[in-house]
Amino acid sequence: MIGEVVKKVIKNLDGMIRDSELGEPFLSSHNYRTHPFSVENFKPICLVKSDRKLAFVDGGNSELLSAPNFSIQLNRVYFNIFEGRSRIQSSNIPQAIEFFSATFAVFKNNKIFFDTSIFPVSDKFDKFVPDESDLSFSSMDRRLMVGSSRADISRVASIARRFAEWKFSRYVIENELEKGDVLVMDGTLRTAFVNESDYAKEAYRVSKKKSIVYSGLSKTSQLFTTTGLSLLGAIRKLSEDSRVGPLWYYHPIADSLSPEHEAAFFIVKLHENAQRVFRYEIYEEQAKFLTLGEINEVLCQLCINSCDASFPGYPYGLIDADANARIRYEELETYRVMLLSEVSKLGSWPKFSRHIESKDAHDILNMLRG
Amino acid sequence: MYKFAHIADCHLGAFRDPVLRELSLKAFQKALNLCIEEQVDFIIISGDLFNSNIPDMGIVNQAVITMKEIRDKGIYIYVIYGSHDFSPNETSIVDILSSAGLFQKIVKGEVADGKLKLKFFKDQKTEAKLVGISGRTLGLEKEYYEILDRESLEKEKGFKIFAFHTALDELKPAFLAQMESIPVSNLPKGFDYYAGGHVHVKMEKKLQGYGTIRYPGTLFGYSFRDLEQNADGEKQGFFIVSFNHMVKDVHFVETKVCEYLKFEYDVSNKNSTKAKEELVDKVKKLSVKGKLVLLKVSGELSGGKTSDIDFTQLKEILLQNGAIYANINRNALSSKEYSGIRVEGKDVHEIEINLLRENIGNVKVKEPKLKGEKGTNLAVNLLNVLIQDKKTTEERKDYVERMMVMSLKTLGLTEAME
Amino acid sequence: MSVCGQIIAGQFGKILIREKSGEKIELGDLLVVEEGENSVILQVYDLFYGSQISQVARELISGMKLEGLGAGMEFLEPQLRNYILAESKAVLRISEQKTPKMLPDFFGTVRRIEKKDLEFLSIPEKPIYLGKVRSGSKIVGVDTYLNGLDALSHHILISSTTGRGKSNLVKVMLCSVLGQGAFGILVLDAHDEYYGRTGKGLKDHPKARDNLRYYSTNPPAGTNTLMVNLKSIEPRHLEGVIHLTDAQQHAVRLYRATYGDEWIESIVRGKKVEGISPITLTVLQRIVRVSLSIYLEDDEIICRNRVFSNAAGESTAKDIVKNLENGKTIILDTSKLGDEAELLIGSIIANEVFYRYQGYKSDGKLAEKVPVSIVIEEAPRVLGADKLASLGGNIYSKIAREGRKFNIGLIAITQLASVIPPDILANMNTKIIMGNELLSERHALIGSAAQDLSDDDRNIASLDRGEAIVSSIFTKFAVPIKVPLFEDYLESCSKSVEKRSNTVFVG
Repeated sequence: MIGEVVKKVIKNLDGMIRDSELGEPFLSSHNYRTHPFSVENFKPICLVKSDRKLAFVDGGNSELLSAPNFSIQLNRVYFNIFEGRSRIQSSNIPQAIEFFSATFAVFKNNKIFFDTSIFPVSDKFDKFVPDESDLSFSSMDRRLMVGSSRADISRVASIARRFAEWKFSRYVIENELEKGDVLVMDGTLRTAFVNESDYAKEAYRVSKKKSIVYSGLSKTSQLFTTTGLSLLGAIRKLSEDSRVGPLWYYHPIADSLSPEHEAAFFIVKLHENAQRVFRYEIYEEQAKFLTLGEINEVLCQLCINSCDASFPGYPYGLIDADANARIRYEELETYRVMLLSEVSKLGSWPKFSRHIESKDAHDILNMLRG
Repeated sequence: MYKFAHIADCHLGAFRDPVLRELSLKAFQKALNLCIEEQVDFIIISGDLFNSNIPDMGIVNQAVITMKEIRDKGIYIYVIYGSHDFSPNETSIVDILSSAGLFQKIVKGEVADGKLKLKFFKDQKTEAKLVGISGRTLGLEKEYYEILDRESLEKEKGFKIFAFHTALDELKPAFLAQMESIPVSNLPKGFDYYAGGHVHVKMEKKLQGYGTIRYPGTLFGYSFRDLEQNADGEKQGFFIVSFNHMVKDVHFVETKVCEYLKFEYDVSNKNSTKAKEELVDKVKKLSVKGKLVLLKVSGELSGGKTSDIDFTQLKEILLQNGAIYANINRNALSSKEYSGIRVEGKDVHEIEINLLRENIGNVKVKEPKLKGEKGTNLAVNLLNVLIQDKKTTEERKDYVERMMVMSLKTLGLTEAME
Repeated sequence: MSVCGQIIAGQFGKILIREKSGEKIELGDLLVVEEGENSVILQVYDLFYGSQISQVARELISGMKLEGLGAGMEFLEPQLRNYILAESKAVLRISEQKTPKMLPDFFGTVRRIEKKDLEFLSIPEKPIYLGKVRSGSKIVGVDTYLNGLDALSHHILISSTTGRGKSNLVKVMLCSVLGQGAFGILVLDAHDEYYGRTGKGLKDHPKARDNLRYYSTNPPAGTNTLMVNLKSIEPRHLEGVIHLTDAQQHAVRLYRATYGDEWIESIVRGKKVEGISPITLTVLQRIVRVSLSIYLEDDEIICRNRVFSNAAGESTAKDIVKNLENGKTIILDTSKLGDEAELLIGSIIANEVFYRYQGYKSDGKLAEKVPVSIVIEEAPRVLGADKLASLGGNIYSKIAREGRKFNIGLIAITQLASVIPPDILANMNTKIIMGNELLSERHALIGSAAQDLSDDDRNIASLDRGEAIVSSIFTKFAVPIKVPLFEDYLESCSKSVEKRSNTVFVG
């Protein structure tokens, strides 16, 4: 019986995904001007000699304690530098920074705001962490709300990490890279939150000053085409149908008109054996002055770095950055215990627990399930 | 058919007592007379003809007279040194008599390329080939056997006799377990006759690869232990061997020169007074006329001193009753009240060695040669040097110097002192 | 300091070390984690792979490579993401020379052991050389010794399967002992492999002339005939060697009482004793013929293996014991003898030594005497539980249990430690463990070792020829060693001895 139902589900889905008609790229209308799909937009990535270095930056955060009215998180931002496949030792700034963020609900101007305080793990990290004053958000900020519901404090708490990535990138550019080098952030260059663009601008400024290409590569993409297909899936289909070479990039897809997303978009396939393609963005002000050869050179370096067997087609530098930025469960537990211990010492557990327990029923149920 | 006599361990001059000395000589004379009677072609003496390298000249004189008689009858005497009648430091009587032509030493060899090559001596009459290795004190001849070129000896053709003066590990009686000895594998194989000496027990034992190895024992003995063995029934004598190109017959000829009586008395659980009374009573009742009497008193007196027993008196009683000689062995006698150092041993020599062996550990020295068995041997050698009497014709200062020179040589310090 | 790894996790007794890329840490490696004055020696007992890459990804990549599909793909920075993890345990805190009771510092770096770390392994007073300290398969240039004065009387067990170098080890030990003359060692050489009848052997030691005696039924020139007089045999020597029923034991004692030390000859000659039936006599004659190869032929006592005699060899046993007391090594070539004859001869001598030393102790002279040890191959023949159960105790088991009090010990060599009763095994305070594939044997050894070797099962199974672990109450930790080849060690012994002066023949 169930088998029959499953068959029906798949048949229905199969019918819905009609990639014979790719349509056009579809991004939210007023901020982007899209370009129709065209085989001409595929360009091969040719392997050339280059001594451009690539710096990869990624951050991670994880919640240690949470309640509807507060969230304590551990945040980490990490960078590495590669020249082709070889790692370059950094020496001028710490390779990773860590800080705790404590976000709590405050009542201001008749509204609930979520304010975040920053606590660097070491004094050495002070200058790399975002300003607390930039981390006050209205719980009813549309960009943060979930549907019509107030923003989730946990999500708001994670914004500090994002700001830290921008700020740290700036210092990476300033202290570790030279003219012509490339910085690759994990994720899009789009700034989504209040004050985020200030951080982005500062990073861009420094990169422009030093002639360092500022870019970002997204692991995932939620973009679509006008026929309901995923944008990346459609371009892949197009590449397969067009028998484009083993390494390629697709550009242009759309032009950004938004000051919150100053990027030129590329879809890239970085390894011949790669199944996946990724969205790659270059700071627009730089991209428009890059020649095709320079773009090829940048992407070529990315290709060289994207040959790791564990994830071909995805830059190894980002694999490494992700691994080192990630907050692991074991770390969480250690810190959680330390925090709870301090709470207990203060005698504040009853106070804390009242709020924590208003949110943790799900966890209890999970625990009961085993 | 030819014949030879195999004699060993005569130890002429061993006893100080004139009676015993005379008996010893008598046994020797008897043996040589028997050789004449048996019409032997030659005599082999496997060491210890004399009891020291320079024995009493009176004894030597008597022995020479007897041996000259043998020689005059055309019977050759072939000898090797024993552990007693050889000295590494000075000439021995055996050398002198050999030089005089009275007998022939059959030990001659040289060390070449680390091997000791021995030379055969051929008996002209019988064409028997004789060769041998002498004995030395405390078994020092061992090192000769270790480097002996056996192969050349074994290859020699003809009727061969090997004379040696050493105990063999495999054939030592149990009571001689402490005696220095060598393994039989040190002897060359394939000889027709092995003429052994040094072990004062008559023995004929077959060993794989060697045939029969023979020790004739003593003619009379050289210590009271020998005399006690004689009294216990141990035969004294020598072998007569008939041969042509191989041994045809071997028989033992006795040289008993007196009757023995051995009496043992245990003083355990008796005090000295009672022991004395009983001993006198028993001794008086012994039938000792014409006998060599050996009285052994042993055990632990429950009271009184051992010197409470008048052994001189006991001896006198025995002699008065006709004993030709009386010896009282008190080595195993002790008293509860007065315990001295107890050392086991069948004779003085063995007691000396055991005493040194047991107490050498108490002397703290660094030099390895003065420790353990090596130290014991050195002490015994030194004792043997220092025990020598001044010769009658020797000046006192010469005697002292001789003692010094020999002592230093024994201790291996001659070069250092120079 | 050349780092070869770092502590990354674990617990007491299971410290996890990540190997520095290219360092090739081995099973059994000795590593040092430096903590100032409190450096600790760790020993690796297990190795496994670690990876930052998921198993699935690794399997896939491997599949692609194997099938020729993975061109142009590799693991970047493989040394960071794929690595070796070593499980280790702390065996010694160097400064205190004790087993550590604390964990080393977390994330402490480790390096390979060096000579200077083992300076505490000094040469004891009366050393028995075993070999050089080994770290994995590498030799650390530090010599390992046992203190002979202690180790011999506390018994030594050498165990491994065949072909792992037990005999070579024993030869090296005997070679080391020979030079000193400080111990009496009796070797029951069932395979005639120690003396060196053909080829190099103990006879080639520069001190062999002074300190070595070799007995064989077929002795080469200069060596002794292995021949024991029947009078040397006492009924108690048969205990645990030849199976006798109660009636037979009674009969044997009666013969002894009647005929004194000629009791065996009397049995062989069929002399009667009142109270002993003809059938019992016949059975005894058969036992003597079968076990000792002694029978009557043409009225002459014959011993087929030529080791027993009624005419010679009266002082052989006493000679051997005397030589043992004088610190000599005695090798008895029993290769041509049956088991029972070999064990009986050993029993005669062992009994003699045991009772003498018992006497010395009661006389207060034991301290002046050298320790005596008996090397016995295939020890379960006399120490095996089933043998002891069926034949009863014997002098060897007596020595194993009580010998320590009298400075007499055993060096027991065996492939099968598991068949030796636990109480005897526990008395063997030095165990030299060589390679052994048999799980039950490893467990028996591990279970009775002086140190905790519960994690060393794999280590022991992987021991190569000539490699061993010395577990002793006299060593600070279970020392892994490499035993040198006997021939090489012999050469080194020869260099340190003065040349003998030439013999002067004085005729």
